[in-house]
Amino acid sequence: MFKFIKQYAETITGIEIYPVISLLIFFLFFVSLTVYVLSMKKSTVKILSEIPLDDESETSNTKI
Amino acid sequence: MQVEKFYYDNRIVKNFAYATVVWGVVGMLVGLYVSLQLVFPALNVTEYGTFGRLRPLHTNAVIFAFVGNGIFMGVYYSLQRLCKARMFSDALTKIHFWGWQLIILAAALTLPLGLTTGKEYAELEWPIDIAIALIWVVFGWNMFGTILKRRERHLYVAIWFYIATFVTVAVLHIVNSFELPISLVKSYSMYAGVQDALVQWWYGHNAVAFFLTTPYLGLMYYFLPKAANRPVYSYRLSIIHFWSLIFLYIWAGPHHLLYTALPNWAQSLGVVFSVMLIFPSWGGMINGLLTLRGAWDRVRDDVNLKFMVVAVTAYGMATFEGPMLSLKSVSAISHYTDWIVAHVHVGGLGWNGMLTFGILYWLIPRIFSTSLYSKKLAGMHFWLATLGIVFYAVPLYWAGFTQSSMWKQFTESGQLKYSFLETVTYLEPFYAMRSFGGTLYLIGAFIMMYNLYKTVKQGKLIANEAAEAAPLSKIVESHGKEHWHHKLERRPVQMLIGSLIVILIGGIVEFVPTFLVKSNIPTISSVKPYTPLELHGRDIYVKEGCYTCHSQMIRPFRSETERYGEYSKAGEFVYDYPFQWGSKRTGPDLAREGAGNLKKTDGWHFRHFRDPASISVGSIMPPYPHLLANDLDTSSTPAKIRAMQTLGVPYPKGYDKYANAELMDQAKAITQNLLTDSIRVAPNKEVIALIAYMQRLGTDISKPQQ
Repeated sequence: MFKFIKQYAETITGIEIYPVISLLIFFLFFVSLTVYVLSMKKSTVKILSEIPLDDESETSNTKI
Repeated sequence: MQVEKFYYDNRIVKNFAYATVVWGVVGMLVGLYVSLQLVFPALNVTEYGTFGRLRPLHTNAVIFAFVGNGIFMGVYYSLQRLCKARMFSDALTKIHFWGWQLIILAAALTLPLGLTTGKEYAELEWPIDIAIALIWVVFGWNMFGTILKRRERHLYVAIWFYIATFVTVAVLHIVNSFELPISLVKSYSMYAGVQDALVQWWYGHNAVAFFLTTPYLGLMYYFLPKAANRPVYSYRLSIIHFWSLIFLYIWAGPHHLLYTALPNWAQSLGVVFSVMLIFPSWGGMINGLLTLRGAWDRVRDDVNLKFMVVAVTAYGMATFEGPMLSLKSVSAISHYTDWIVAHVHVGGLGWNGMLTFGILYWLIPRIFSTSLYSKKLAGMHFWLATLGIVFYAVPLYWAGFTQSSMWKQFTESGQLKYSFLETVTYLEPFYAMRSFGGTLYLIGAFIMMYNLYKTVKQGKLIANEAAEAAPLSKIVESHGKEHWHHKLERRPVQMLIGSLIVILIGGIVEFVPTFLVKSNIPTISSVKPYTPLELHGRDIYVKEGCYTCHSQMIRPFRSETERYGEYSKAGEFVYDYPFQWGSKRTGPDLAREGAGNLKKTDGWHFRHFRDPASISVGSIMPPYPHLLANDLDTSSTPAKIRAMQTLGVPYPKGYDKYANAELMDQAKAITQNLLTDSIRVAPNKEVIALIAYMQRLGTDISKPQQ
């Protein structure tokens, strides 16, 4: 490994807290995202989801 | 407001589409060839055409050439339309295209030459790594330039996936490619052993996540609604899908290292996040499939939708299987076997392949202002590809499960029931069936090539497609208080930073303790640096791609310790730049090849390298006669020693000056040994170095601790 990285800590006691903190961060993030998503207005959602369908230009009139 | 007239650049879409098709066929051909080498070892011809050198060529070609060009084709088509703007700069577009093709060409030349870093899916040597980073920045620059001059305020969810892809691949590539060059064509990973393994599989797993998955999800969110002509089932779900997926994916790498010498807490983190990954993955799959609600009748007639439905279904299957394989008890069975190969091919052939084909059939007629030459041929391609996947995957699932069970079986008297070689020869019919599946898939791809060629011939490229849209107004109309996320959806730079933060959390939590906490890698005092000859031997091991078939990591199971000796410890790998734990056992584990019951004579190794099948009847290992003929390049010894010292290997000061003398002494001792076995060979041949390395493997911990 890089010479300049020293192993500062001897042991890894208390590592159990790591996954718990990670889970907590994710959980809070997820909940706030869900709250936001559910609070979106139906009309907004409709407009946004139709963006890809709204790009027909003059020449793309081909049929398959 | 006055509408502006502008032109979409379709020429670049066409170029990337052609590159996708051509490199796709090349990558699959190499894949078929290496699969046949496992059935007919005689196909290992010349030193440039052995399985160990061609297998990385196959993986790199399909990932970075086929899927890579597929990503750029889809992004350049959809981004322009979603932003209602031409690509930012035609010059950057050109540099991106030709730069990427040159990188692929460099890979196709260097990998068969044995120029490799020995890290899976990151095998390319340092000058190519730098080129990849530069071209990737060009792509990002062009993409962001386009986004910033867009005429559509809101960034559609597909663009978020593109942004996350750009930023994460950049981080992954740079962090995993830290290497110390010793010449233009050779470098050493700056990480060793356990740390190298953790970084490599953080990279390896997320190459799957952010190169094979997130960009393709972006493409799915654009092209599936286009092909079905209806909006995505739930835009709300797509927002949750995006953030949860990129947050969770980055943690999952350690599931490639279950039961290895990686610290247990890191393994557990990898498992937990891998299991959680099923939720966003399936959320995305369901969102894709339900987009077709009420339009399922069209799937019967519309070949584009057929391909896309199978692609999304394969995505669902692979992302169900992934979390399952991440459970320790399942990994104990599946790891190192063909089960994993089957798993990645459900993803590669099913998800990436089928979605690419669906997009190509949809897009080529559009940019050439014509209709598809033959729907019938496309239908034929669809069935060949679908059956090809089934014929590919089922035999390998069977093979993987069978081999794993054979490895673990004991007789009543407590002996291992099968020798390793017996488990390999048993698999031959399965390997043959797999090659049959691959052939079907490849024939389908050739049919597509013909069909698209005819389509292009009958149409004319609309190189610059006219479009009109109003420019963005300076002031954003706001209706009351706006949610922060809704604002974020208009702000690409903040979106990039947000994605970066989300993906860095996982990496940092896993890396920092592994690098900074001593107890994670307990040192073993009897573990010493490699001798110069062994170091050269190890470099040959890396060069020949031995890690593609041999692991160097004995898991703590009785079936493994009986077969290979004491289980591997983290402290044994501290001088391994790069680590060579491997991920697949087509051949046996070599971690203790030089120790205990596994130790063989120098003569055995010599004859085995010359012609493995003459020593182990039925062996499918390639012969290595060139190692007996090629001279060892001892001129690089001082540079190698100095590089190792820079990396922290405790060779004595000034050792580079007399390392070659010691090297020659050890080599002569081996040639003397060989003489007693009536083998006459000069001490300066490559095979001598490789024998020295083989004899060293696993011996350290059986020496007394100081």
